[in-house]
Amino acid sequence: MALNLLPYPPCTLSSPPQSYSSSSATSSVPFTRYASPSNSLLFTLTATRPLPFRTNHARRHLTPLSASLSTFDSPSTSGSHGKKKLLLEVKDLTAVIAESGKEILKGVNLSVYEGEVHAVMGKNGSGKSTFAKVLVGHPDYEVTGGSVVFKGENLLEMEAEERSLAGLFMSFQSPIEIPGVSNIDFLNMAYNARRRKLNLPELGPIEFYAYIFPKLDLVNMKTDFLNRNVNEGFSGGERKRNEILQLAVLGADLSILDEIDSGLDVDALRDVAKAVNSLLTTQNSVLMITHYQRLIEFIKPAYIHIMEDGKIVKTGDISIAKILEKGGFKAIS
Amino acid sequence: MAALAFTPHIHRPPTPSPSTPRIPKPIARHKTERRVSVQTSASLQTSFSDPFVLQLAEALEDSLPSSSSSSSVSLPLQNLRDNSSETLLSTPWPSRKDEPFRYTDTSFIKSSQVQPVSHPPQSLSISSDTQFPNFVIADGFAVNSVSDLSGLPNEVFVGNLLDISSESILKRVSEFVSKGSEGDLFWSINGIGAPDLTVVYVPAGCIVENPIHLRYFSIEGGEEGSSKLPISNPRVFVFVEKGGEIGIIEEFLGGDGNKSYWANAVLEVVVEEGGKVRHSYIQKQSFSAAHIKWTSVRQESNSTYELVEVSTGGRLSRHNLHITQLGPDTVTELSTFHLAVSDQTQDLHSKLVLDHPRGYSRQLHKCIVSHSLGQAVFDGNIKVNRYAQQTDAGQLTRSLLLEPRATVNVKPNLQIIADDVKCSHGAAISDLEETQLFYFRARGIDAETARKALVLSFGAEVIQQLPYPSVRKEIETHFKELLEPAIKASS
Repeated sequence: MALNLLPYPPCTLSSPPQSYSSSSATSSVPFTRYASPSNSLLFTLTATRPLPFRTNHARRHLTPLSASLSTFDSPSTSGSHGKKKLLLEVKDLTAVIAESGKEILKGVNLSVYEGEVHAVMGKNGSGKSTFAKVLVGHPDYEVTGGSVVFKGENLLEMEAEERSLAGLFMSFQSPIEIPGVSNIDFLNMAYNARRRKLNLPELGPIEFYAYIFPKLDLVNMKTDFLNRNVNEGFSGGERKRNEILQLAVLGADLSILDEIDSGLDVDALRDVAKAVNSLLTTQNSVLMITHYQRLIEFIKPAYIHIMEDGKIVKTGDISIAKILEKGGFKAIS
Repeated sequence: MAALAFTPHIHRPPTPSPSTPRIPKPIARHKTERRVSVQTSASLQTSFSDPFVLQLAEALEDSLPSSSSSSSVSLPLQNLRDNSSETLLSTPWPSRKDEPFRYTDTSFIKSSQVQPVSHPPQSLSISSDTQFPNFVIADGFAVNSVSDLSGLPNEVFVGNLLDISSESILKRVSEFVSKGSEGDLFWSINGIGAPDLTVVYVPAGCIVENPIHLRYFSIEGGEEGSSKLPISNPRVFVFVEKGGEIGIIEEFLGGDGNKSYWANAVLEVVVEEGGKVRHSYIQKQSFSAAHIKWTSVRQESNSTYELVEVSTGGRLSRHNLHITQLGPDTVTELSTFHLAVSDQTQDLHSKLVLDHPRGYSRQLHKCIVSHSLGQAVFDGNIKVNRYAQQTDAGQLTRSLLLEPRATVNVKPNLQIIADDVKCSHGAAISDLEETQLFYFRARGIDAETARKALVLSFGAEVIQQLPYPSVRKEIETHFKELLEPAIKASS
């Protein structure tokens, strides 16, 4: 069975070369399912790209996922010889609220290639945040159909922590307080979970402090931020910065930023956006979820998807946002 | 009070009930014995007293160390014993029908062979793992030889009442000892059985930098499973004069193994105007032990009393905490954490009485029960009386039940008579929060590690308030060790 192993860029912590196997059989004709004409832009872009993946069903469940360890520190050498790899492929995803059984996602289709910035926009209640939460395995939702392939693996079969270790990160819309656990201990625990996954020795508190200290500047936070309990008594801005700090420390191939702009004043938004931009490389991708134009001005997405009633109804470039700005969501649908 | 000659027969009350275990005679008898006033009101016994209680009282009296003459017992202690034996006569052993013991079953003590420990331990090997001036009380007896009081200012006195040489200190202490107590049966049992009174005296204006570490050891004990239950009655009186400040660390430790014993301790604290007491109370007794503790605090105007309690040991652990406000503008902060990892009961009965204006109080009680037969009890009473205007009182209790059938009984209650006050209270009982767990998992931390971190953090909120890093670190480690199996099992 032929395997197409793509070398992954080496990361700063000298992890073993990472690789992932090919995606599912459908990737050979990847976009036939995108019947909606509104996806035409995405279709054109991706269809012209030579397909880097081959079918390999057997590998799909057997390959242990490599953990992603702060790939943001990686030198941006491309392992795919200029061809972008498919990072996330969501097909016909449907999901319900676990408790009530109410259907929220009604067939979402979305593909994200490495190095791309996508934005999902939509009205309140359109399913944007649910989509983000379903991707990271939030227990409040239950997937009822469709598939999600992340780095060639079936994401839906993974536990939440496995998804994180595989390189998927979601910044929470309203991060919860964890009294009694200091920020630095929390980050150290999460970071060491990644080190364990990569068979690297765990970092003690002092080594970890040396690692994390330079990253504080990135989010414009003082040292005492680390000694405070996770999100306890944090202002809205501090919570969002803290999410981005976690992203900077842990790294991710795909960062899902769920309304990182909500509750932020312009200065704080600029700080957060600056931090996100500085973390972007040609390998990692961002999927941001937002109501508003203003975030898009700071972090420029290549694709904007409009979500409505649990589906992506339109995909386009940044010009969509301009239409939105003028005419609201009505102008789109 | 007469010193009676030794008689081989202990005077027993008539017809002890069949279920009442015989209390063996204290082994070490001495030539002379002092007997307190049990007999003087013998006529009352049949109608008012509980045979078990009387038997215990007598055994305790008999066990007290000999003294060649009664004059060697100082007056305050004598008064304490007299008062205690008097109250004891009319106080029956508590049952589940009595409100203060509704959820706390003390019957295992009653069905054990309770024996007073009549002498300090013959040999005592204690590692001095404290960096603070410390005072050792073993089986209720002060052991000066292993105590180390260097580091305390000269004018501060820590020692037995008998050793107080200064008339003026003795006089001041006598004014307060066993005054205004509203104790229960166990308070009185301690009053009869305490071999001496340990006094911590801080003179006016003296701010003591180092805390005094009171280390209580329970050495005598029945082997695991035996019905032997040696009782010890340590009693400490802390007296802080006007403007004085001190930290008190009380640490209760068992000897080796899971011995059964009964530590029945009393701490009385008087804080005069503007004074401050930082009290750390750590209870790490054996899982076969009964630990009954009284803390009675009287606070004069502008004084501060801060308590941080961590109780993890004992088969039955009961803390009675009474705080009385004697003047306005007092500050009272109580943080307590109880942990039940085995088939044990952890009980806090606290009562704060505010009678003067502008008192400020905060109470946080937390408990974790991680055993299906474990139980936590909390009865937190705050009384804001008529003259306690502009009181600011807050109370919060949170319980974490980690096992099916784990039990907690909480009764937070505020009684407010004054009409210009700010009071809040809250109670929450839960398992770990799913959303918090998910936050960890979303960052790649597995559920077991996350559970552990969350459980530890629950207790840490109180533990972190211990004012001394070394003590805090030690109790954190102890807490982690105790939880290790519990977390594994429940995840």
